[in-house]
Amino acid sequence: MKAFSRLHPLPLFTYFIIMLLFSMFLRNPVIVALSLLGGGAFAATLTDKREKLSDLKFYIPLSLLITVTNPLYSHNGRTPLFFVNGNAFTLEAIEYGVFIAAMIIAVLLWSKSYSKIVTSDKFLYLFGRAAPKTALILSVALRYVPILKRQAEKTRAAQKTLGLYSTGSIADNVVSGAKVYSSLVGWSIENAVETGRHMRSRGWGRGKRTCFSVFRFRASDGVFLGFTLLAAVLLGLSASRGLLAFSFYPTPTPLPVTALPVAAYICFGALAFLPFLIETEENIRWNCLRSKI
Amino acid sequence: MNKKLLSYLIVLLGIPAVIVLGFTVFSEVKYIYIALAVAALSLVPFLIRFEKKDHSVTYLLLIAVFTALSVIGRLAFSAVQAFKPVTAVVVIAAMYFGPEAGFLTGSLSALLSNFYFGQGPWTVFQMAAWGLLGFLAGVLAERLKKNLVLLSVYGAFSGVVYSLMMDVWHAMFEDGIFSWGRYVTSVTTSVWFTVMYAVSNVVFLLLLARPIGKKLDRIKTKYGI
Repeated sequence: MKAFSRLHPLPLFTYFIIMLLFSMFLRNPVIVALSLLGGGAFAATLTDKREKLSDLKFYIPLSLLITVTNPLYSHNGRTPLFFVNGNAFTLEAIEYGVFIAAMIIAVLLWSKSYSKIVTSDKFLYLFGRAAPKTALILSVALRYVPILKRQAEKTRAAQKTLGLYSTGSIADNVVSGAKVYSSLVGWSIENAVETGRHMRSRGWGRGKRTCFSVFRFRASDGVFLGFTLLAAVLLGLSASRGLLAFSFYPTPTPLPVTALPVAAYICFGALAFLPFLIETEENIRWNCLRSKI
Repeated sequence: MNKKLLSYLIVLLGIPAVIVLGFTVFSEVKYIYIALAVAALSLVPFLIRFEKKDHSVTYLLLIAVFTALSVIGRLAFSAVQAFKPVTAVVVIAAMYFGPEAGFLTGSLSALLSNFYFGQGPWTVFQMAAWGLLGFLAGVLAERLKKNLVLLSVYGAFSGVVYSLMMDVWHAMFEDGIFSWGRYVTSVTTSVWFTVMYAVSNVVFLLLLARPIGKKLDRIKTKYGI
């Protein structure tokens, strides 16, 4: 799972924002289907077997639930299947439910990949220069989370060795947790003030701030970013001319299959499967190299 | 100079671009798009104002620590649904360090904890919701400090407001447009969550507000801040 995440943060961030926007807002079945497949294929390269299984256990019931409940809200559509309390349960509403479910799962999949690829260091690199103070707070807070976790464990261990709150009852657990948290608050506030003093005495805030980063914008990053933006502009243009318009009610409109929409679909499909292809290519190359040894 | 030019360009081109996109490309689902854009843009003025002001490094670090404390709280209670100390910690930070700190603690807690829980379009809504609740708590700080009853009321209020704001997102995520029918069902199906948010806020505020206040006072005397 290395090839795609090695790209520069800027093309990565742009790519995910564009995929999320288009998956959420271009209400077209082909686009959503492509996004779902591409997102699913890519997420599959990022997760291990156990995570895949637990994801499926979450996504499948969720999509069934959305599909089944949609006809309860919307009684539009021309083909009633049966009536509940005088309200029509229509075929179109079920179709629309399937569509919404696919859209939501696609967005969840892309968000999941985003979380795994655009990690906090990349995020800070992108926004650190635009908002240096906010970035400072964010990076210090990020560092404090593991420090506080460790400190909480230490305090809890000290409690245990003193034999306090060790019966395992709920009341004991709550009181123990509260005491640990309280000591954590005191310790961390003092720690923050001390750190602030150290930073000031070491000359924080004098002169220009510099940022350390390990990211380099390579030619391949430029190509990827260019392709992403080009595809986004083409899709945006075709959407703004209504070429991708689709509606489910009263009956689903026929899918436009003239040259331009099809070109837009191909464009979006290429965009959606790009990360998966990059990963697969890397995997194949890696396996070839390994088999040579 | 270069930076200034860039920020003007962002404002002059960015905002119209957002609006034009909404009316042309994403016109069928304008409302959820606009809601998302409004939530994201509502963060910008606060951040710009904060970046322009002069702050002591201690102040910045205290905000960072409170953000980390609320994230730790969310992590520690991740097993218990909807029962989280995040809002309480944000409100406490706002009470003692002012509206700006409240806003930052709130919105950064959402951003930071989602690095652990998973980012997504909902991050923007959570950032706006917690940020604004923190800001409001900072505005009411003096009254909240004096009156425990008022503090509990604010805790319950912020739980309800948070839930109602997130319901807007849930209702619109499905249809892309805002419909009262979906909103009402979304609100009614999440009543349990709303109640839990409110209860947990009150519980954590009553448990934490006074002790943390005392600790802060002690630190203030110790270091002469």
